[in-house]
Amino acid sequence: MTQLTADIRTEPEAMPSLLTQKGGGFTGDRLLALAARGAAFLIILMLVSLVAVLSKAAWPAFQEYGVKFVTGSQWRPNPLPGPPQRDAAGHVMRDEDGEPIMTEIPPVFGALPVIYGTAVSSAIGLAFAIPLSLGAALFLIRIAPRWLAGPVSFLIEFLAAIPSLAYGIWGVFMLVPFLQRYLEPALAKICGAVPGLRWVVQNADGSPMAYYGRDMLCGGLVLGIMVLPIITAVSRDVLAAVPVAQIEGTLALGATWWQSAKEMLRYSKSGLFGAVMLGLARAAGETMAVTMVIGNSMKISPSPLAPSQTMASLLANQFVEAADTHRAALEAVALLLLIMSLAFNIVARYLVVGRGKK
Amino acid sequence: MMTRMTRFVALAAFAIAPVVAHAEVRLEGEGSTFINPLAQRWVTEYQKLHPDVLINYRGTGSGAGIKAVTNKTVDFAGTDAPLGKKEAAAMNDKAIHLPAAAGAVVLAYNLNGVSDLKLSGDVIADIFAGKITKWNDAKIAALNSGAALPDTAIAPCYRSDGSGTTFIFTHYLSAVSPSFESSIGAGKQVSFPVGQGAKGNDGVTAAVKQTNGAIGYIELNYALANKIDFAQVQNASGKFIKATPAAVTAAANSQAVQDKLKDSLAVSLWNQTGDDVYPICSFTYLLVYSDLSNVKTAEQAKALADFLAWALSQDGGQKINGELDYAALSVPVSAKEAEVLSKLTYNGQPLK
Repeated sequence: MTQLTADIRTEPEAMPSLLTQKGGGFTGDRLLALAARGAAFLIILMLVSLVAVLSKAAWPAFQEYGVKFVTGSQWRPNPLPGPPQRDAAGHVMRDEDGEPIMTEIPPVFGALPVIYGTAVSSAIGLAFAIPLSLGAALFLIRIAPRWLAGPVSFLIEFLAAIPSLAYGIWGVFMLVPFLQRYLEPALAKICGAVPGLRWVVQNADGSPMAYYGRDMLCGGLVLGIMVLPIITAVSRDVLAAVPVAQIEGTLALGATWWQSAKEMLRYSKSGLFGAVMLGLARAAGETMAVTMVIGNSMKISPSPLAPSQTMASLLANQFVEAADTHRAALEAVALLLLIMSLAFNIVARYLVVGRGKK
Repeated sequence: MMTRMTRFVALAAFAIAPVVAHAEVRLEGEGSTFINPLAQRWVTEYQKLHPDVLINYRGTGSGAGIKAVTNKTVDFAGTDAPLGKKEAAAMNDKAIHLPAAAGAVVLAYNLNGVSDLKLSGDVIADIFAGKITKWNDAKIAALNSGAALPDTAIAPCYRSDGSGTTFIFTHYLSAVSPSFESSIGAGKQVSFPVGQGAKGNDGVTAAVKQTNGAIGYIELNYALANKIDFAQVQNASGKFIKATPAAVTAAANSQAVQDKLKDSLAVSLWNQTGDDVYPICSFTYLLVYSDLSNVKTAEQAKALADFLAWALSQDGGQKINGELDYAALSVPVSAKEAEVLSKLTYNGQPLK
């Protein structure tokens, strides 16, 4: 992750022409140039082949379900027993032993529950992370003395390097019990008493919901903590790029500290939006930590206190034992996730780097 | 770093080299994670008797095992669910199911003040279908007279990954509840309308332990190893039975199962009648081809048949089952398997 931010921050400068000339007569120079070209080409080839292989594997699912694959809310990997088979005259067909031949309702795969789960858990994560990240970034740029800004920056970037499994374990042992014992019982009392809010703490049939702890809210909060460092690090750099004259100008016009900070945020809003998009890309693709705390349920529930599932956690859960259409459906989810992440990253890059170039 | 790595590899090669030189026959198997602990013990014990046979079993999941043996990349596989029609056809209908042990699926729960819960198949089906949502529901209370059932919401917990445990559990519920069969159905992976999912037996165990009011299905071994409360389940004869290896063996010994075993070794064990029978249980199987031409040499084929014969015999591997809380095969099942194994061939020739 730190790699990614560094990559976005430091654009390669245009090299003097002397350096871009490929090596003259020396064989070693030519070999190196060839190897460098090959390496660059290979990386692009890897992405292309990834998309190609996934598309091919996912094709049967799109072919069978079409648009319903993304709009369908039922995900059932097992077939169900259907009514007995009937011949043209409407008589029940029987095998040699006289047993009726039963039909089978084939499995059905609609990815809406995981698309919904990914969207909502990422939104909860961002709602939690954005205010904290922008606050921390403003602190680092405007308030923190130099001796403090360095170590704090380092610590924030260090958070991004912690393996996601560690966040998952923290979620399971700290956040889940906290939600189960304190937050959810309290919410049940409050929301249960307010007529318009009962859906938060009730099942679809109106019965009170169990205190799961592993649910959409928990998944969202863990995601929020995980994307905090990347959003902070990128927005810090975006804010650092605001020209000093701009800030001095606002102060000269009599702006208070808060007004000038607001001006600063407004000035760099596209870059900040890019930082948020980078955070979103990470949140949508996060797998291990989310699988541990989101409750892995394929039902769409309006309440954030109900277990849910994201696209990535679905893959982590079901891929190993899947076969046939089920496998194709999972590959299709993987393809959707890849395209989504790619789109987020392209938008983010355009906002953080692309605009600056003009 | 690099040099340290190379040194390590060199050392490791040294350490392995003498063993490789000595071993004459290697066998590979993979599949079911449920049977993995037992398979590892079998291999260790068998190696003591036959140091020249090296066996490697990897617990990669039943589905992975079936795929591997179908592609002939391993010599045998372990699976909790018998082959489906398509899977059997992919193996040219030449696969043999060898019951290796029997296992029980229990309902672990976390409920303050209730230590001896009784449940029936219908009630379990209603809980996992979201029709019973509170612990003090009249249907649960009717089975547990005298118990102080709290007014707590039920938090069902299921396997989020494909698993033989889910296969056994949902097949049992489909057998006892027509509404469960038609709405949720049976399979290695189904979509439960309520509750939370967790990965693996250990994931479900952890979630149940952590969540007040939770109930989840796990293998008996995990429940015993984790000292978690699990419910007595009413069997087809109306008796409430707590799962034990003996109660599972009783299911395998029931008359209906014995009759079916005459035709095929892939027999389901759930919901059998009998006073001592625990109802939610199943065989777990080892899969081999009836003609072992997937194995490289005749020598290996013979070694594989010998190992299986030992593992499935009453005097050999089955003695270990009980030690690890797996139910041992009954005497008639073992005898039937010995007969099947003696008929295995290699490229059409009997094994020597």
